[in-house]
Amino acid sequence: MNPVIEVKNLKKYFTTPRGMLHAVDDVTFTIEKGRTLGVVGESGCGKSTLGRTIIHLHESTEGQILLNGKDVTNLKGKDLRQAREKMQIIFQDPYSSLDPRKTIDSTIREPLIVSRRFTKSQIDQKTQELMDLVGIDERLRKAYPHELDGGRRQRVGIARALALEPEFVVCDEPVSALDVSIQAQVLNLLKKLQKEKGLTYMFVTHDMSVVRHISDDICVMYLGQVVEKCSSKELFKNPLHPYTRALLSAIPSTDIDKPNKREILRGEITSPVNPKPGCRFAARCPYANEECLKQQKQEEVSPGHFVTCCRLKEISSSYN
Amino acid sequence: MHQKEINTDMPFLSIKDLKVEYKSDGQIVHAVNDVTLQLERGKTLGLVGETGAGKTTIAKSILRILPDVGSHIASGEIYLEGENLLKLSETNMRKIRGNKVSMIFQDPMTALNPVLRVGDQIAEVVSLHSDNNNRAEHEKRAKEMLEIVGIPAERYYAYPHQFSGGMKQRVVIAIALACNPDLLLADEPTTALDVTIQAQVLDLIAELRNKYNTAMLLITHDMGVVAQVCDTVAVIYAGSIIEYGTKQQIFKHPSHPYTIGLFGAIPDMNEDEEWLHPIDGLPPDPTNLPQGCSFAPRCKFATDACRKEPVSMYTTQDGHDCRCCRIDAVMKGED
Repeated sequence: MNPVIEVKNLKKYFTTPRGMLHAVDDVTFTIEKGRTLGVVGESGCGKSTLGRTIIHLHESTEGQILLNGKDVTNLKGKDLRQAREKMQIIFQDPYSSLDPRKTIDSTIREPLIVSRRFTKSQIDQKTQELMDLVGIDERLRKAYPHELDGGRRQRVGIARALALEPEFVVCDEPVSALDVSIQAQVLNLLKKLQKEKGLTYMFVTHDMSVVRHISDDICVMYLGQVVEKCSSKELFKNPLHPYTRALLSAIPSTDIDKPNKREILRGEITSPVNPKPGCRFAARCPYANEECLKQQKQEEVSPGHFVTCCRLKEISSSYN
Repeated sequence: MHQKEINTDMPFLSIKDLKVEYKSDGQIVHAVNDVTLQLERGKTLGLVGETGAGKTTIAKSILRILPDVGSHIASGEIYLEGENLLKLSETNMRKIRGNKVSMIFQDPMTALNPVLRVGDQIAEVVSLHSDNNNRAEHEKRAKEMLEIVGIPAERYYAYPHQFSGGMKQRVVIAIALACNPDLLLADEPTTALDVTIQAQVLDLIAELRNKYNTAMLLITHDMGVVAQVCDTVAVIYAGSIIEYGTKQQIFKHPSHPYTIGLFGAIPDMNEDEEWLHPIDGLPPDPTNLPQGCSFAPRCKFATDACRKEPVSMYTTQDGHDCRCCRIDAVMKGED
């Protein structure tokens, strides 16, 4: 057991004119070294906020974040800067996350300069190594982001994130803006880098086939809370929470002989502002009753498989 | 009045050798190259391809809503019920847009007018294509449409920002369907939506299509959506159709190296594989298309013949169209 990241009862609330927005509400997990935790859910479920809060792009409201066993929740100033070198992020949109007025070379170089740990010649050498590592041609060194296609831009984003040799990288929908043929190139690159450098990933996505491919473990989020958590294999073989089941059944299958047996959900994701106690999925859940309006507890239904649903025992018998 | 050239033998929608060009920085962008397609009533044709392949340009050509400046339909014919849409006067074309042929745009966040009530935006289409000025009647029809797409009629007076993404897309669909179009052009109608909402919207479109026997051209890059919704499929690469057949033919026996590559690049939901199989390289620059097959630079089967001159359509063993002169080698898997 060698957890790189431990998150304990993490909460992130935002104040809005309409009340408290519970973006991340009581999330707990650990990620072991060299492994990938996939975080899935629909837009607005708090998955990106979770990633950003862990690496301190947002200040957490409550809870604890441990990096290599050390509490980094309330670090400030120099300590925070040092901790951040170990925690990096790859952003979703390679079109807006690169500075349009910086060349590729100076974008990748920037974190190395900011860290003040390297001499000029070391920086030159490292920049070159990073470009080779992610597969960007030497001739693009002086190019600007607008001259690159989405896949190459995302490679620059990856090189920048890896510049300071982090241990933990949040991948926030890194391939959702890319076409499938390019998406596969970038996913393979991320996997290769993980193997070579022993990186630990938190992979945020809404694409179930991507998350299945890249993750060891998966958290399913709904309105700021984790509703199901287990290994990737188990989740796809034996999904238990009604939301997970609906999510999986909604993916259009490419197998034309097996049309989806869909569990169509009514309605849409409700507002995370001032949520009532009880299961947040209840409003859309085909199995909900009064019990679901009470506070819910996470239970370990089999080793390593956690589900937050009070009616699981009764309803799981109706699953085939 | 214009003369109608009606030919009843023709399919409902027939596109012949369509060629569309854009001018950009003095260079000509070959967006659509010699595209030929047919679509029957009540059927759905999927146009599949990557960003910039020319899918949306084809749909916009049918409606003749390509940007005025810099783009033009270089050649080709588009027949709807035997009538060449490209020869219609602008006045007559306006009668068709939104009425007989309508379009669902990709991004529901920007397709609606933010300062108009959603109901009024639906009523606008109805009144434009109605022969009377009875406002109350148009409003009633708009409310009916809202109910049909699953939004309570009392939300008529809401503004787009008060709706979620899925609801906005429903409004866009309501606008597109308000005049019971014969042909629906759906440009990535669910790409901006979450999967559970996507499932609802796809079901809704399918239900309405069956009810009104509407023909649909569905533009998407999602093979899963194609598998669920379409009858026939055309795969587009760099502005040309490179493979065209029924859904069964394309999914069971993909024959073009690009189509095969496209299927291979999707992470498989039923199998564990360590590495994905991306297609190497990038799509070609549309201002400077390769002389021969536009996929040749990325194709491991390519020979000198592929690079020399444009490849014509071949027929595969199961009888669908495939623009590849190395079909036999591809089928055997020989490099």
